[in-house]
Amino acid sequence: MLGLLLLVASLVVAADLFGTREALFGSATPPPKPSAFSRVASETPAQRAKRTRLRSQPWWQEVDTFGGVGKTRTSEIEISDDATQWRLRWSCSGGRFVVRAAGQKKPLVNSTCAAKKSSEFTAKPDGALQVEAEGRWRVTVEQQVDVPLVEPPLPAMSAPGTAKVASGSFYRMDQTGRGRLTFYRLASGRYALRLTDVYFTPNVDLEIRLHPLRAPKTTRQYLSAPSKIAAPLDITAGSMNFVLPAGVDPLRYRSVVIWCPLITSAYAGATLNQQQ
Amino acid sequence: MKRPWSPTPGVAAATAEPVTAPSPPKPALDASKAPAGGPQLVLGGRRIPVVLPNRRDPRLKLSAVIIALQVLGQTVLDFKVSIAQILITIGVCAVIDTAVTLKQQGILAWPASALLTGNSIAFILRASGTKHGDWWSLNGIEFFVLAAVVSLVVKHLVRPGGRHRFNPSNVGIVWVLLVIGPVHVFPQYLWWGPLGAPVIAALLVIVLGAIWVLRAVRMLPMALSFMVPFTALIAIFAASGQSFVAIWQESQISGFDYWLKICTSPELLVFVCFMMSDPATAAKSRDGRLIYGAATAVVAAALVFFQPTEFGIKVAILSSLTLTCALVPAIEAAARRLGRDRDPPADEAHVKRPPLPRRVSAGALRPASIAVVIIAVTAVVGTAALADNKDLIFIERGLTGPRNAQ
Repeated sequence: MLGLLLLVASLVVAADLFGTREALFGSATPPPKPSAFSRVASETPAQRAKRTRLRSQPWWQEVDTFGGVGKTRTSEIEISDDATQWRLRWSCSGGRFVVRAAGQKKPLVNSTCAAKKSSEFTAKPDGALQVEAEGRWRVTVEQQVDVPLVEPPLPAMSAPGTAKVASGSFYRMDQTGRGRLTFYRLASGRYALRLTDVYFTPNVDLEIRLHPLRAPKTTRQYLSAPSKIAAPLDITAGSMNFVLPAGVDPLRYRSVVIWCPLITSAYAGATLNQQQ
Repeated sequence: MKRPWSPTPGVAAATAEPVTAPSPPKPALDASKAPAGGPQLVLGGRRIPVVLPNRRDPRLKLSAVIIALQVLGQTVLDFKVSIAQILITIGVCAVIDTAVTLKQQGILAWPASALLTGNSIAFILRASGTKHGDWWSLNGIEFFVLAAVVSLVVKHLVRPGGRHRFNPSNVGIVWVLLVIGPVHVFPQYLWWGPLGAPVIAALLVIVLGAIWVLRAVRMLPMALSFMVPFTALIAIFAASGQSFVAIWQESQISGFDYWLKICTSPELLVFVCFMMSDPATAAKSRDGRLIYGAATAVVAAALVFFQPTEFGIKVAILSSLTLTCALVPAIEAAARRLGRDRDPPADEAHVKRPPLPRRVSAGALRPASIAVVIIAVTAVVGTAALADNKDLIFIERGLTGPRNAQ
């Protein structure tokens, strides 16, 4: 009888009835969350962000920036419930610099202006910040999130004089890489890159690099020729824009590689198809 | 009728899983039937007959084929399984089977079929996070041990009519894949790599090994009776736009590639040639085996149809055998009724049996029969539920981050 009961229990778990298997053995799928639509949290979205189960490498999203002279009370700050931590990055002209959160006795920052310029916190603040400084100061509040960033294309990408010059689709190398890329030559002469619906295996310090090989498939092939950094990749999921450094011309290269210098690994590649 | 792979004359291998020719039900093995003058072990004043492996045992051929594939897997095919996982799984099966045989029959028998069970489990089952080349990794060893224990427990406890009904390694693997789930375990990939020397070598081993093993036990027609309808049905699915995702390919697999990746998979060939062909659990009669092969193909294709992932497709194929093993008595009855069985086994040809409905109703309330039904239903329902498993899509698309399950 015990054996039969165990078999029936197996049936319930195997069919994941009532979510039993997930409850017992966990899930690889995170719950859905709304994507971010900007690198600045306070910007108003054009439309409601879609919910997604995708997760990005955690990245710092700007919440607000304050500045002033002497003692000031900022407007209220609001850290998202989804944020894993938040931080203050500050600069001041001299003397002591103190920042308090409303309702907290212990200051968040109590330092000289010459000391460390960033402090991280996990407990969420409630309300405004009280800043005490002897001179001019500036504080940027940032929160760390792991949701994808889904930015609209840059206005410059559809401005007169802008041309789409190359495109491609990502393929897997050492890690997962999916999605599309498009290079634009802006009216200013600079180049901009748009990644669309991309996902790369999360890791810190990833780089978007331009490579002379048409379709490098391995880290060894990637390392066989010199490459050029186009932009750091701090967000590993979503749709986002980058303006390339002045003087960097993607048309002199034949592919794009997502490179991780930390572990010397080519994550993903995309062959560049130049527009006629 | 000769009994071609009895380890020793007069000693039938009641614990057999692997290939053999059709044979009548084997008598229970006990110490009194051990070969006279054979080796014995004296333990605490008690003489225990020892049954050693026989080099003519076809199970040794099958072992040689699987071991050759394991060696290729460890060296050039990038199998994500460690030598430690393989050895421990085989060891657990061997210890359990030897202990059960010793307790039930008073002999110390070479656990040939249990060794094959362990080898088969380690050949197909994978624990998430195991890396190729990490030869002594014990990552996820509990899942291998669990599969081995389930295999042997089902083999020795679920015995309607005094015989085990399910292929032990098949039921153990299916149970672990469905109950533990895709977050922790997965089956060996359908695709073993580009068609280079390593894969060609593996295919040669499988094809030559299949001919070597299956011809001797007359199971080649059964293998064909599976492959022909299965490949035809998968071709229809491919033409109708079915597709699946797999961790090893970026894009959706559809069209001709859908057919090619499933029907020419070495994993499928191993399943058909070396798992379905277990004569202890397959149908015994010639026509019964043809129906058994075709029925497994139809069930496998029906379960595959709904699967959008490689994991689901692989489990569907494995689960089809769990179901058809449970249905073997009905398949044999159907074969007899249709009058296609021209060479029935001796025990069934001359014994007047009550009608099937009466036998079904008589046996339905026996615990072993109930267990068979629950196991078969679990395999089918659990596999069908995979079609809607959100974890699987994420895992197969490689979207679960650095802790990717495969």
